[in-house]
Amino acid sequence: MIYRCKKVENCFAGARTYEYELPVTGRELLAFLEDWEVRENHRFRRPVFSAKRGPLEIKGILAAHVVKVNYPEDRWEEEKERLEQWLDQTEQIKQTEQDG
Amino acid sequence: MRDYEEPIYMNNAATSWPKAPGVAEAVSEALRAMPGEANRGGVTDFDVFWEVRKELAELMGVGSPSRIALGCNSTWGLNQAIFGYPLSPGDTVLSTNAEHNAVLRPLYLLEQRGIEVIKLPTDAVGRIPVSRWERAVEKYHPKLCILTHASNVTGAVNDVPALAYAAKKAGADLLLDISQTLGCIPVKLSEWNVDMAAFTGHKYLLGPQGTGGVYVREGLCLRPHMVGGTGVMSDLKEMPEEMPLHLEAGTGNEPSYHGLLAALRWSRQHPGDLEELNQRAKRLLKGLQTLGCRVIAPGGVSTPVISFVIPEIPSSHVADILTGSYDIVLRTGLHCAPEIMEDIGMESGTMRLSLSRFTTDEEVEQVLGAVWDVVESGI
Repeated sequence: MIYRCKKVENCFAGARTYEYELPVTGRELLAFLEDWEVRENHRFRRPVFSAKRGPLEIKGILAAHVVKVNYPEDRWEEEKERLEQWLDQTEQIKQTEQDG
Repeated sequence: MRDYEEPIYMNNAATSWPKAPGVAEAVSEALRAMPGEANRGGVTDFDVFWEVRKELAELMGVGSPSRIALGCNSTWGLNQAIFGYPLSPGDTVLSTNAEHNAVLRPLYLLEQRGIEVIKLPTDAVGRIPVSRWERAVEKYHPKLCILTHASNVTGAVNDVPALAYAAKKAGADLLLDISQTLGCIPVKLSEWNVDMAAFTGHKYLLGPQGTGGVYVREGLCLRPHMVGGTGVMSDLKEMPEEMPLHLEAGTGNEPSYHGLLAALRWSRQHPGDLEELNQRAKRLLKGLQTLGCRVIAPGGVSTPVISFVIPEIPSSHVADILTGSYDIVLRTGLHCAPEIMEDIGMESGTMRLSLSRFTTDEEVEQVLGAVWDVVESGI
């Protein structure tokens, strides 16, 4: 999955939040998050989602292409690398599904 | 009804938006026109910096426009004042926990240079109690006091006349940070006996970013924090003694100052209704309280800044929803003022809504409606 990533300017102490612009919407991303704890909330004007797995949290607007990822302060680099590897693999999965 | 694609901008304590009418045009025209600093400086030439100084002097309540040095922002002005003020190891500086990092970080450096820095805690709404300040100036005998006019976190305005009086009585000079107040509430530096004041052009003055500076009273000479070309007296090896040249090295941000001049003149011709703005802010504050939010309510004189949290819901999460789902632009976190958070009981930071004279009742209602949705959802 080709993505753009930028650290979010955030004034909270110790915050390690990054934004990712993805080629898929939040709703489409959820299809790949099978082993994540996913919550959707349709009460808001633009419905939102959050997905948690261990210390990682991805959240965003269901219909938008930009999601935020909160990394744990103590091992954010390791978790960030792992998530981005997973995003790369997800592209392969998607590609495989399309090819299949 | 408002257009939902249009953001509700409530981040004016960071930088104002929209700017005053005519600001964008003035900046644009300045960029197209031949530079005013084209090495002429003749009597018939329009000197935007001088015109800005005159407007600012009137607004700040000081007599001499030449005592106002113009730079790139309030941080520039604060650095000029803090590092330019004659301090020696062993001297004491008295300040407060309400200060912005633009003050705190220079103070951390001063401590490394052997200056004793005392920071007073605020009360629970971010205001410095006068009695606490009086006791501190008597106890520590500071050479310099540094104080924000209003907290950028809670909006609480300090009683500067009383605090300045106490500082002067103890023989200290006073540097006042008026970043959060100039253009919003009355500022009277000479009347209050303030020695130096740092200001910015892009908040309540409604001008462009990249403008701001420092006022230094007559008779007080700062050591320039930055040195360089001044366009005149080029044979000198040091900065010229005369103000404002003494503190103004390098080419000024002429286009942005044209914008600030347009903003200052517009505001002078169209004074804001402070009472109406206060009522609107109060309505928002009370509305948030009614929804169960924990709100810092400074009471008394305050700027239209409201800090709040929703109990049990992380503020970063709430803010993401308010911005992502409702296009409400606000600020979250420590607001570059980390030391006040413990004093006001908000160690994890707050969400901050800051209004301007352009904020409407409808926008206030929209914000309250969005917060209500979040509270109800119990996310």
